[in-house]
Amino acid sequence: MAAEPKKIIIDTDPGIDDAMAIFLALRSPEVEVIGLTTIYGNVYTTLATRNALHLLEVAGRTDIPVAEGSHVTITKGTKLRIADFVHVTVVALGPLTNIALAIELDPEFCKNVRQIVLLGGAFSVNGNVNPASEANIFGDPEAADIVFTCGADILAVGINVTHQVVLTDADRNKLMQSNGKFAQYLCKILEVYFSYHQEAYSMRGVYLHDPTALLAAVNPSLLTYTEGAVRVQTTGITRGLTLLYNKQKRFGEVTEWTDKPTVKVAVTVDAPTVVKLLMERLMES
Amino acid sequence: MDGTANNYHGERDGVLVVSTANPGKLIIDTDPGIDDTMAILMAFQSPELEILGLTTIFGNVSTEDATRNALLLCEIAGRPDVPVAEGSPEPLKGGIPRVADFIHGSDGLGNTFLSPPKATKIDKSASEFLVDKVSEYPGEVSILALGPLTNLALAIKRDSSFASKVKRIVVLGGAFFALGNVNPAAEANIYGDPEAADLVFTSGANITVVGINITTQVKFTDGDLLELRQSKGKYAQILSDMCKFYRDWHVQSDGVYGIFLHDPVSFVALVRPDLFTYKKGVVRVETQGICVGHTLMDQGLKRWNTSNPWSGYSSVAIAWSVDVDEVLNYVRQLLMKQ
Repeated sequence: MAAEPKKIIIDTDPGIDDAMAIFLALRSPEVEVIGLTTIYGNVYTTLATRNALHLLEVAGRTDIPVAEGSHVTITKGTKLRIADFVHVTVVALGPLTNIALAIELDPEFCKNVRQIVLLGGAFSVNGNVNPASEANIFGDPEAADIVFTCGADILAVGINVTHQVVLTDADRNKLMQSNGKFAQYLCKILEVYFSYHQEAYSMRGVYLHDPTALLAAVNPSLLTYTEGAVRVQTTGITRGLTLLYNKQKRFGEVTEWTDKPTVKVAVTVDAPTVVKLLMERLMES
Repeated sequence: MDGTANNYHGERDGVLVVSTANPGKLIIDTDPGIDDTMAILMAFQSPELEILGLTTIFGNVSTEDATRNALLLCEIAGRPDVPVAEGSPEPLKGGIPRVADFIHGSDGLGNTFLSPPKATKIDKSASEFLVDKVSEYPGEVSILALGPLTNLALAIKRDSSFASKVKRIVVLGGAFFALGNVNPAAEANIYGDPEAADLVFTSGANITVVGINITTQVKFTDGDLLELRQSKGKYAQILSDMCKFYRDWHVQSDGVYGIFLHDPVSFVALVRPDLFTYKKGVVRVETQGICVGHTLMDQGLKRWNTSNPWSGYSSVAIAWSVDVDEVLNYVRQLLMKQ
């Protein structure tokens, strides 16, 4: 029996690897994209909205609604109308402002949402904005702490996992040679992303952050997880640090992690299969 | 002085390998403490070391009790001549320090309640003593720091040349890419004075840090403790008595039937650095928020777009792996030595 496709909303700041993730979602029969919401991060929110609309046009899917999200972080507080998220999986690819606002606006949100799969955090590794912090969490640490502790079913995919998934030069050449419309489009915008990785990490290849998070929603068995309470540091030099407590060790005193709901945090990924799925689905015309 | 000591002579996969060191002159900054006691008695069992003195700090006990215990330990070791300089009663930012008496007993020595020492502390404060000895023997004095780093921070503040004149500082503290032991974010020694720790780590001194991600790999099991008790080791009985309380806390806290050898492992890192591998990187300590006391190292895997709080500071060596069996052998051998 073919399961009914999982309804997902992608909260996104496109973004080159966001574009890959969106195209991948549109090519994945396991999921039905019922909307995009936009957030600042890779670009400002206004541009994120424009890019989201543009990507849907390229894909010929202008039927999918795009809702513009917050322009500012949660501490600057603007209220936002959020769609009905009941039994929907939210794939959050940018800072978590929109999700935190949804939680504040609707106390039932955490119960009603099916799952929040989020790309963010650096668990037991250095960040990518600075040694402490990963970019999406650093974008709005207060919002991230609200989301991680809200009690919803959350799956966090951090750069400790996405750094294991690399699209190589050879993969890009294969994409270029295919007739896939998405592959062709992506190859045009990938060059900038390759140059950045060469400069920052001295590597010929790019990390597949957003596609990995998207595939975690499509097929959770591609990753393994641990569970625990996650808190986000919101001040000081380590602002944006994500700290997971797996509740194994007992502490003498009550801590800021005690009694907080647990979330799932990805620890390993089947990287070859993630890359293979991405390639296959983007190369189909 | 051994000119080759502590030279990093190789690097494999970014992991540093060091040659053996002859630490020579040594000051132990300590908050004894049961595992401090083990480390201190191990030092006294090492004739190649010249122990210039002990300096005391709060942590496992109050600074005042740490001083009493340090004096007692010198007497037990038959070395009442070793000077004990009392350190700061409080962290740099002030306030009453957190004392871990639920781990080490109300006397800090596993509730063994030994009679008070005859000797008394010297008149100099710990930071004065540290500055004086390091100035007297520039490039020759190593420091083994087993508690919060307040005294070392005060020494660095007192004398701007302290960091460059000290030969090597081996710090027991921090949790690198691992859970803390006070709370998920912080290890006890760093949590005891985060401001001091940040100052020491960024001081430019030759520093090796041994975090609990390393020390919790090295345990004395109940079997090891029994072997110690039944051995002819000079301090076997007194250590066995002290360890009872400490061991019971480990069962409760970590489900470990035995004890972690935090301080003894750090001592071994001082005298046998070749039993560990290291990574070099800048370490900063968070001093605010829910992660206060968190130690965060820049592994240097990325070229940062902009400067950040780690930019521009000197690297320290962080213990990255440990030869557990060899370290255990070394600890056993010294503690069971007659």
